[in-house]
Amino acid sequence: MNPKLMSEIVASMPDEIAKGIQKTGLREGGVWMTVDRDLLPKIAGHIHNSWGAALVSMHAVDNRFITSDFKLCVVLALKGQDDFVTLVASVDAKDPVFPSLTSEIFCANWYEREIHDMFGLRAKGHPDLRPLVLYDDWPEAAFPLRKDFPVDAKVPRVPRPYVFREVEGEGIFVVPVGPVHAGVIEPGHFRFSVAGEPIIDLEIRLGYAHKGIEKLSERLDYAKGVHLAERISGDNGFAHSLAYCQAIEALSSVSVPDRARYLRCVFAELERVHTHLGDVGGIALDTAFTIGAQHAFILRERMMDVNDLLTGSRFLRGVNCIGGVRKDIDEEGRSKLIERLVMVKLDYQEFYDDVTSTPSVMDRLETTGVLSCEAASDLNIVGPAGRASGVDRDVRRDHPYAGYRNLSFKVPVLRQGDVNARFQVKSEEIMESISIIEQAISNIPEGELRARVPVPAPGKTAMSLVESPRGELVHWIVAGDGSPFRHKIRDASFHNWRAMEVAVLGDIVPDFPLVNKSFGLSYAGNDL
Amino acid sequence: MNDLLLALIQAALILGLAPLVTGIIRKVKALLQSRRGPPVLQPYYDLRKLFRKSSVISSDASWITSVTPFVCMIAMMVAALLVPVFITASFGSLGDLIVVVYLFATARFFMALAALDAGSTFGGMGSSREMMISAIIEPAILLSIFSAALIAGTTDLAGISQVLVLGGTDLLRPTLFLAFAAFFIATLAENARIPFDNPATHLELTMIHEAMLLEYSGKQLALMEMASMTKLMLCITIAWSAFFPFGMATELSPLPVAVGLIAFLVKLLLFALAIALIESSMAKMRLFRLPNLLTGSFILAFLAVMSFYIL
Repeated sequence: MNPKLMSEIVASMPDEIAKGIQKTGLREGGVWMTVDRDLLPKIAGHIHNSWGAALVSMHAVDNRFITSDFKLCVVLALKGQDDFVTLVASVDAKDPVFPSLTSEIFCANWYEREIHDMFGLRAKGHPDLRPLVLYDDWPEAAFPLRKDFPVDAKVPRVPRPYVFREVEGEGIFVVPVGPVHAGVIEPGHFRFSVAGEPIIDLEIRLGYAHKGIEKLSERLDYAKGVHLAERISGDNGFAHSLAYCQAIEALSSVSVPDRARYLRCVFAELERVHTHLGDVGGIALDTAFTIGAQHAFILRERMMDVNDLLTGSRFLRGVNCIGGVRKDIDEEGRSKLIERLVMVKLDYQEFYDDVTSTPSVMDRLETTGVLSCEAASDLNIVGPAGRASGVDRDVRRDHPYAGYRNLSFKVPVLRQGDVNARFQVKSEEIMESISIIEQAISNIPEGELRARVPVPAPGKTAMSLVESPRGELVHWIVAGDGSPFRHKIRDASFHNWRAMEVAVLGDIVPDFPLVNKSFGLSYAGNDL
Repeated sequence: MNDLLLALIQAALILGLAPLVTGIIRKVKALLQSRRGPPVLQPYYDLRKLFRKSSVISSDASWITSVTPFVCMIAMMVAALLVPVFITASFGSLGDLIVVVYLFATARFFMALAALDAGSTFGGMGSSREMMISAIIEPAILLSIFSAALIAGTTDLAGISQVLVLGGTDLLRPTLFLAFAAFFIATLAENARIPFDNPATHLELTMIHEAMLLEYSGKQLALMEMASMTKLMLCITIAWSAFFPFGMATELSPLPVAVGLIAFLVKLLLFALAIALIESSMAKMRLFRLPNLLTGSFILAFLAVMSFYIL
């Protein structure tokens, strides 16, 4: 980032806000500002609203045994520039309260609830501080991400009632669904308030898949952390491990060999293709258009088969390592991959035509589950779901990593925001991904597969953004002694779950599974 | 006496072949989806498995829950006695077509009650949707059957098929085709097939018929499953014997009976194929679009009756 921009940002703030900035500095990851706790909402709100910045992450660090306070970090991505602003505020350990950002930045809501759950820092003025990730019978004063909470601690079960939103009125019924479902899907509780069939309100309660990944990562050395990252969210394993590896590489200031960068693009796009194929197949299946669905699932199977052929893992596990990749694609693998891609491309076109030329399917997809452009930008919806509602953001283009700077691709953006728009965006992305793989594989430079990476010095901070198939995901790491001191993970689903509460309003209950499928969100990635 | 014996044989045929029809539909659908699919006899295996298991009943459930599987199954068994299969004879003194329709309604009424009984949310949703749909299909089914009864001059099913078989092509009027079309749509709705309901889904929120069965397990579930398979079989049989009974035997001698049996099996297969094709080629409709299609069925049935008087 150029220093001029930084001073422009500071200069644009009114004096009563600007006085809260204690220190500014440039680092590799953009601007760092140390700000006053009480003015944090105003400063973050100013950058968010006047500079069109998007909230990338908000999290806390327990620094009590180093600087005897908690640090609160707010990371914002500036619009149209490959730059980030990180605001750091100190929260007194004896007075663990900070003013809530939610009134300035709407999508800070869940972040503050999460911080409240995990660190016991209270967001003053927050509209809703019910537990977000912790179980219902978790005791009130146990904060898992604090440093004095042992990772293997056994906590007593203390029943705590969870008060759901209540909708009152004549003929309003509550339909609770889950957390255990009939299909083989992850756990989540959906509470509909319905008037007959139309949905008046939906409240989503997650956290049932919480397994303490961030805490676990703090005691795993970096090499093992890669395997942990791969398992954060099953079908997005490569994207997560890529973000983790890139963050560690940034901590050690190592640059990855060019061949590995290109290979990472190839594998990341292979993951996108098979995830998207599963999603579009699922959309067809939920309308009961089974022939179409099976067509997509066959293609997905073919792509996973090619993953297996190239790397020995259908889910691309064990491919990433810190400093590069473990698997090379040789001449034979390359020709097989290209052959398979051509086949899938043609077959996908057939599937696409099948679906779009069947009126009964299109009738189900169109105008169902509309997420308006305003709601999408307020909730900071990322990935294909955001792009189907006019949010023109794609990490691969806006903050290029791996080899994306040298590859050309289109970012499809639609504005309708319905199930059909999400289907169309994913369809186009499958084609773009295939084209990216073809470009990368035919221009791949010769060279090493991985660089040697020294263990990062404790205390350094790095962040990595990756466009996973579900959208932007973030790994933010403070280096510790051989393992991360703090490892913040934010999956795309953490932003996108809230979109569903808005998108289903006005639809009828039987259409909910279709809307849900069109967002294709991860429970495990959200609950961590 | 002869009639009773024939009715019993035909009812046994309906009950015995019902799981096979479901198995064939599933198999054809699987093949169309490029899957190998379960064996055609899988529904028999499933029933055998379920009959060996005990049932779990919600502690909130009343006697309705325990009685419903029997009511449904008995209603279907009685209906099976009234429907001619390969010979134009049935236990007609017990009741006619209208009785069959109301036997279906009785089963449905108890099923909807049982779904409400345990107080589960999905059961309630299933019941309300089922009742919405049945309110529209019942008139369509009755009207379409009336048009066949008008031609034959009787509402006794065996009588209708007898008149139609003996009358041959002379009686092949537009009325029959219109009424058959109306009855076909109603059959899909009555038996919870696509585009009305998806019999293969696991998504509780979208279910209609299956949502009402969610509370059942073991033997009770087996009875409920058997009842719905029999209902499908009955609808198919009625569709052929009330509108196109051609090939059916009119007297009890070996050759006509053999022809009648073969004709029945061929028609059964045709109907199953048609259902499988429809289920594979289209999506389930939105819930609130279903009344439109059902009204279409009603209008076809209405036209069938009108055309009888006009033409």
